[in-house]
Amino acid sequence: MKKRWDWKRRLPWLWLIGGWMIVALLWPKVPSPIHIFSLVVQDLADRSFLTALAGSMFRMAVGYTAVCVIGVSAGLLLGRFRWLDDLLGTLVSALNAMPGAAWVPLAIVLFGPNQGAVIFTILLGATGIVVVNTSFGVRDVPPLILRAAQTMGAKGTKIFWHVIVPAATPRIVDGLRLAWAFGWRALMAGELLISSIRGMGQLINQVARQRNTGQLLAFMVIIALIGMFVDGVIFNRLIGDRLRTRWGTT
Amino acid sequence: MSVVLEKVSKRFSQNGSAVDVLEDVHVLEEINFTIDDGEFVCLVGPSGCGKSTLINLIAGLELPSTGRVLVDGVPVTGPGYCGLVFQEAALFPWLTVQGNVEFGLRIAGMPPAQRREKAAEYLKMVHLSRFASAYPHQLSGGMKQRVAIARALVMDPKILLMDEPFGALDAQTRRLLHEELLEIWQETRKTIFFVTHNVREATVLGDKVLTMSARPGRIKKGYAIHLPRPRRESDPHLIVIQQRILLNIQEEIAKVVKDEDMDYLVGKIQ
Repeated sequence: MKKRWDWKRRLPWLWLIGGWMIVALLWPKVPSPIHIFSLVVQDLADRSFLTALAGSMFRMAVGYTAVCVIGVSAGLLLGRFRWLDDLLGTLVSALNAMPGAAWVPLAIVLFGPNQGAVIFTILLGATGIVVVNTSFGVRDVPPLILRAAQTMGAKGTKIFWHVIVPAATPRIVDGLRLAWAFGWRALMAGELLISSIRGMGQLINQVARQRNTGQLLAFMVIIALIGMFVDGVIFNRLIGDRLRTRWGTT
Repeated sequence: MSVVLEKVSKRFSQNGSAVDVLEDVHVLEEINFTIDDGEFVCLVGPSGCGKSTLINLIAGLELPSTGRVLVDGVPVTGPGYCGLVFQEAALFPWLTVQGNVEFGLRIAGMPPAQRREKAAEYLKMVHLSRFASAYPHQLSGGMKQRVAIARALVMDPKILLMDEPFGALDAQTRRLLHEELLEIWQETRKTIFFVTHNVREATVLGDKVLTMSARPGRIKKGYAIHLPRPRRESDPHLIVIQQRILLNIQEEIAKVVKDEDMDYLVGKIQ
């Protein structure tokens, strides 16, 4: 494919920034986008900001890894064993119905206002979606493919690992991608409510209390950028494109 | 390898309950026939007459309700001894063409170098060596079916079962694959059981053509075809046999399906 300046995707951004500039000119309370941009650049070079960011990213990394491991294993088990799904399926949908932020108060009660509470929030906010996607992926493997594998001598665990799991992979990755977004939200909710932890949430609380709109917006832009980077670059470009070429789902 | 079906019948209980015997659907009843070693046998019959169930029984994917399926005198108890090719290629989309052909060998635990060599041999047989590293979605329908055939043959099965394998292909591609399949058959001397609803296809390929009745499925009649290969579909001798077979199945449809649209079904068989 030819690389081209994709103006259709850029245009809304230009409008947004243009509109923002006009609002900033008319309404002095709103800082201009140029100011925000310079603050973002400043922040990214600031040591104390970077420590806070690293703290948040660390909690996200721990929480998300746990989500991936627990979610995929539980999903594979639920997909493989019907009785387990009958037993736990409704529990998982109940878990999915809960917004991540709703776990924060309970997490504080159980763990105290610390890192553990934030990781617990990520875990409960994002695991359910992985379980559901994985178990459905396992169950939706085309029966014809299974029959073909059986006639070639595959059965039991071999058919599970060599046929069912690879066939379910695109669905599993979909689940992991959604879980990233859910986890990211849960992380922010946790950190905003537990402001004794050194992290992005604490910084946002601080500048909000100081009515420092500029810095507040700069932090929000950074949070959005990180989320977009992981979703767009890692999930879409690196993993998604590879899956699509292999599975032929373009 | 010879295959013998002795008084094979298959019933399915409706609503999944095996209790009420009267409610059972007799899909196959009293099937008796023999496929000799190296023989190419075709089976034609109307849709829904139990052709696929019969294939599943021979493949060992299902077990008969009564009677026995014997392969070289030994009753079949499970899958794995025969190659199976479906109407849809059912390739594994996450594996390359090479990976698909190697699949069964890998499951069987053959070392990589050995299975690569063996897969290459069979890919050459189906003229797909150049596409070894392509993924299934990059292939045409005919190429996919050739991969499926290579994937089944590489396991060196005792018998190759084909369930309407060329049904979804255009006439041109189908003719080409008929020629290739006959070449492979003559080269490997495999026993082939080929199910189709296309009477012309059956007469071009088979040593023997069996017709089947529906509900319950029974073998109706067998036609031996002694004409030399390659055969032309328009060969007058073949047309005579085709007409006889068609007549045989049409009366079957007329008998069994009273309230369905006849023209539609007859058209489908031709």
